[in-house]
Amino acid sequence: MAYVATRGGEHAIEQAERLYRDDLGTIGKDRVDAIRISLPYLVDRLMGEASLYEPDLAALALAQTGGDLYEAVLLLRAYRTTQPRIAVAEPVKQPDLFTLRRISAAFKDIPGGQILGPTLDYSHRLLQVGVLMGEDYVPAPVTAAAEPAPATQPSLAAWQKTQGLIADHKSEAVAPDDIPDLTREPLLFPAPRAHKLQSLARADTGGTLALGYSTMRGYGSVHPTVNELRLAEAPVRIHHPRGTLFSAGSVRVSQAEIISKAAVLELGFSATFGWNEVKVIAAASLDLASSQPDAHAASTEEFVLYHTEPVESSGFCIHFKLPHYVTFQSTLDAFRGVKADRAAAAAAKAAKPQTRQEEAAL
Amino acid sequence: MSELATGEPVIGAYSHEQALNILAASDARSLKACAEQVLTGLGDVTVLNNRTGLVMLPFEDTVKGTAFHLGEVLVAEAHIRLAVSGIEGFGAVTGRDLEQAMAMAVIDAAIAIGHDSGPILAFIEAEDARQQQADRERLRKVEATRVQMETF
Repeated sequence: MAYVATRGGEHAIEQAERLYRDDLGTIGKDRVDAIRISLPYLVDRLMGEASLYEPDLAALALAQTGGDLYEAVLLLRAYRTTQPRIAVAEPVKQPDLFTLRRISAAFKDIPGGQILGPTLDYSHRLLQVGVLMGEDYVPAPVTAAAEPAPATQPSLAAWQKTQGLIADHKSEAVAPDDIPDLTREPLLFPAPRAHKLQSLARADTGGTLALGYSTMRGYGSVHPTVNELRLAEAPVRIHHPRGTLFSAGSVRVSQAEIISKAAVLELGFSATFGWNEVKVIAAASLDLASSQPDAHAASTEEFVLYHTEPVESSGFCIHFKLPHYVTFQSTLDAFRGVKADRAAAAAAKAAKPQTRQEEAAL
Repeated sequence: MSELATGEPVIGAYSHEQALNILAASDARSLKACAEQVLTGLGDVTVLNNRTGLVMLPFEDTVKGTAFHLGEVLVAEAHIRLAVSGIEGFGAVTGRDLEQAMAMAVIDAAIAIGHDSGPILAFIEAEDARQQQADRERLRKVEATRVQMETF
């Protein structure tokens, strides 16, 4: 069998792209600004999965793709490849986080207190249908406290370590430039913890949720509770040429610690760009579940990390809609060959009794 | 959020780190206006770099203390050298605004040679006050969401 080059689709392809873009209409800066301002959680989710933090570019990607998240992730990942890496920033630690929400579901009286921050967790979710009738929905203003909340909070895990409740793993002293980096090294198993956490940080939210949910429902041996959930802003600290370390700005981040209710308290961890609570809770559950010696097949490191990569998984899925004519033609040839062989065999079988009858007559 | 001084003051009471933190978080339009004013007296300036690029951001896991990469942040940076003194200035801000980074580099160079320190100090003090006030107002709203637990 030989491959056969075909042509003739250029015009159709060009018109198909035009039709797609025609449906989206003219994209201007106003539309991009409106997306960035009005859909911050979607922009956050996209930046986390793309592993590239730039809200304007993320909003532009959403505008250009009409909100198709996987296409938007692909655009941002592609844009990233056009940019040089200037530096590796100083690692973000808990005292660096400008904290706007920090809660625990496992411990009521946590050092620093429970700060709900911006959330709808305890609210009715109702559509404000009046907006569609022309009535603006104006949210009630926050009644600010007299004094500000502390800007930073220690992690709950740090307090538990001082109480002897969980193992106190010492920080690994690794220079920022030497931290394992999935964008420059392949993901191999067993994965270094740095690769695992980086992979979860850039994982697909939906995929992470599906696998995390399966472990929560019982396809795994951990019974997760949120030890700490935090929304914060982290500084991007780099070195001035004269050596001064300073912050070039800050980015929104979320992090979750998940605690199991096993005989020994164990924690899982995850953090990602943007404010995306469901992703970090699911990912921290998977961190914990995949660390178990008898991890369920659906929560092993390899299964989780391979199947939650958004560009690879979506790309593999949708590549099946692209022409597979040659491979499918060879399958058809095989089917036809088998069918012809069967027909020939049946004909031969049908011919055999007749020969016996002829022999008997003789 | 201003941080504690970690070095000798370079302008007013501000260390180099504090000044850079404040400049990077400044209102972009005001920063550019300040740099325009400062630039006129600096003489010839050589631009060594003015580009966008990626800064990889590591994060430390609270459970096992593992540092891992959270992802890359797009940053605009500018690096300049003053022809007369050879002093260099540097600016870097998150995002894509090359002019904002350049304005920061110009002010950084001016601080290094003590040029126009009056208006620059006034700008930094005003921005410091604005940024601290904005953080305070935001955290007052956050404090309003603190749960006052009742124990039964």
